[in-house]
Amino acid sequence: MMRTRAAVIWEAGKPFDVTELNLDEPASGEVRIRFAAAGMCHSDLHVRTGDSVCRLPMVAGHEGAGIVDAVGEGVTRVRIGDHVVCSFIPVCGTCRYCATGRQNLCDQGAQMQTGLLPAGGFRFHDDAGADLGGFCMLGTFSQHAVVSQWSCVPIDKDIPFDVAALVGCGVPTGWGASVNVAGVRAGDTVVIFGAGGVGMNAVQGARHAGARHIVVVDPVLFKRDSALRFGATHVFADAASAQDAVAAMTRGQLADHAICTVGVLEAEVVSRAAAIIGKGAQVTITSVGRTGDNQIQLAANGAVVGFQRRIQGHVFGMCSPVHDIPRLLRLYREGQLMLDELITRRYRLDEINQGYQDLDDGKLIRGVILHD
Amino acid sequence: MKTQAAVLWEYGQDWQIEELELDDPREGEVLVRLAASGLCHSDEHVRVGDLPMQALPVIGGHEGAGVVEKVGRNVTTVAEGDHCVLSYIPACGRCPSCAQGHQNLCDEGAELAVGLARDGTARHHVRGQDARLMCLLGTFAPYTVCRETSVIKIKEDVPLDKAALVGCGVTTGWGTAVYGAEVSPGDTVVVLGIGGVGANAVQGARIAGATQILAVDPSPFNREQAKRFGATHTFASAADARAALPDLTRGRMANSALITVDLATGAILGDAISLVGKLGTVVLASLASVTDDRAVVPMFEVTAFQKRIVGSLFGNANPRYDIPKLLDLYRQGDLLLDELVTRTYSLDQVNQGYDDMRTHRNIRGVIRYP
Repeated sequence: MMRTRAAVIWEAGKPFDVTELNLDEPASGEVRIRFAAAGMCHSDLHVRTGDSVCRLPMVAGHEGAGIVDAVGEGVTRVRIGDHVVCSFIPVCGTCRYCATGRQNLCDQGAQMQTGLLPAGGFRFHDDAGADLGGFCMLGTFSQHAVVSQWSCVPIDKDIPFDVAALVGCGVPTGWGASVNVAGVRAGDTVVIFGAGGVGMNAVQGARHAGARHIVVVDPVLFKRDSALRFGATHVFADAASAQDAVAAMTRGQLADHAICTVGVLEAEVVSRAAAIIGKGAQVTITSVGRTGDNQIQLAANGAVVGFQRRIQGHVFGMCSPVHDIPRLLRLYREGQLMLDELITRRYRLDEINQGYQDLDDGKLIRGVILHD
Repeated sequence: MKTQAAVLWEYGQDWQIEELELDDPREGEVLVRLAASGLCHSDEHVRVGDLPMQALPVIGGHEGAGVVEKVGRNVTTVAEGDHCVLSYIPACGRCPSCAQGHQNLCDEGAELAVGLARDGTARHHVRGQDARLMCLLGTFAPYTVCRETSVIKIKEDVPLDKAALVGCGVTTGWGTAVYGAEVSPGDTVVVLGIGGVGANAVQGARIAGATQILAVDPSPFNREQAKRFGATHTFASAADARAALPDLTRGRMANSALITVDLATGAILGDAISLVGKLGTVVLASLASVTDDRAVVPMFEVTAFQKRIVGSLFGNANPRYDIPKLLDLYRQGDLLLDELVTRTYSLDQVNQGYDDMRTHRNIRGVIRYP
């Protein structure tokens, strides 16, 4: 047992509370990580506001990188001293989905919203004895966490932790949305709605796959300007302006792909996305909406059937954590993937509420917490 | 009308410049005034007899672009004055292949080596004999009459001497990487043979996001050219690339190997298979001699590592979609065309042009018409 400092969500709608918790030793198949860096993803904010309903209290944070500092019995994937990225989706390697090349849908992901670990129970406890799960079975907004070995992906030691952290969620989710889910091909026209920590990587993925036109729609000037650095060819503040421009640049054929990477998925963006793509094209839905918001609106005849459009959701950009996390870091090392440029600001754990305020205010592509 | 053409009378001989008597276009046919013709290796395959026509004489050339001069009855997709690229494969739009999204396999392609009009007659006559057309085109002549199905209308802002290359070599190479191998971001790709097709396979792989592109060619000039199009490493032989790949890929080997050599042989197929790793793809885009039916293939590797060997004609491309699309990419600066043309020739220098190809002095030679 040890003490750790962590940002906790006790109740939906309340700020993150940075406090001290007790942390159990790793049980069988578990490892303890000393986190060096954690990415501030919008999904944690969804939990804090109650848009995503999770078991509370919960230690937030699901994008992290650090060093393995203790291992339980039967751990084979990592050793003490390994540098690891924590994948927000565990990979057991043996369930039906892992066995058929869809590790992003690993059955072990079922407890992401409770933080219950596969060996049973929770490793975080407050002084009163209450159990806390880690978001996505991680809790990277804690200096230390005990996680399943299935959440760990070892990485080369020359990769800085702050950029490595981002490859646990936002980078593969966005990059994979373009490359794997949309399947962007050389010469395609791609429209990306929302250029934050995920959308910016959808821009990079589309660029990397050879897209000819990469059109970004975002109301925030700072994000539009940033998108141009990541490879966007056209940026617009609103969907209506993008619609006319895409029609013109494709000679009326409209886009091959629309990707929704906005902060909170709402019906309107899906309708806009469906309207901006051409025949046989796909809307890729990456963003999370509010729990209980069950409405999207599409004209069934014209928008979907008549033009044979497809609406495709996904998890983690259909990437395989154990294959694609090292692969993306290789692309970073080769200068093909921009990661340093994603980090707008770095915060101490105590500054987490300020960081999320900055995210909400549109001031960040990605904020990163550097643990002490 | 009377004009000129480069004609082959007998396999193994040189092209002869002859006076050409050209008939008017008939129903479904188009008279095109050519601006340029690429010197592709396939015409050389015809000349030496690796790729025989049904009969000779034949007017060579199948990589051309120009301006529509006159149209026959019932021609609807182009009109006089339109700029066009001639596709070396016609695309009828209604045969089973066209109907399933494989215009590169259009059934009219069955007549490429016949080289006559649909009704079996000829519009081209030399020394009083009917002449056949390479790929139903015959672009080694300032004018030709061809089928509407071979004519792809393009916008007028692209120089025709560059557009000509998209009728065969550019699209073949680009599509070999993009469609044949389905190159993905981060891939390692080996391109075997850097000529007018291979250089475009290199740029296709680059545009599709390959991060390591290994170009293999025995000629130092061609290897140097490969770097301009995006090659990250160059080797004189497949064996040298084979030796370097484990270090470059942490032992995984290449994702795909593209065969774009001048003449495919049984040995190179085996070389290519040993360059790719598990689930790797070998794309055979080069022509072999029609009589060559022996390949040396490490069969165990194919099974044990689940490797794929696929053929690719015209880079799996659909002429009516991909030719204008590639010209868009050129206009935008992504696709290099100007850099492909090493030397230009007049029609009567055609044999000189092929001599330069054989001695590795050209990526692509081009005949320009006045």
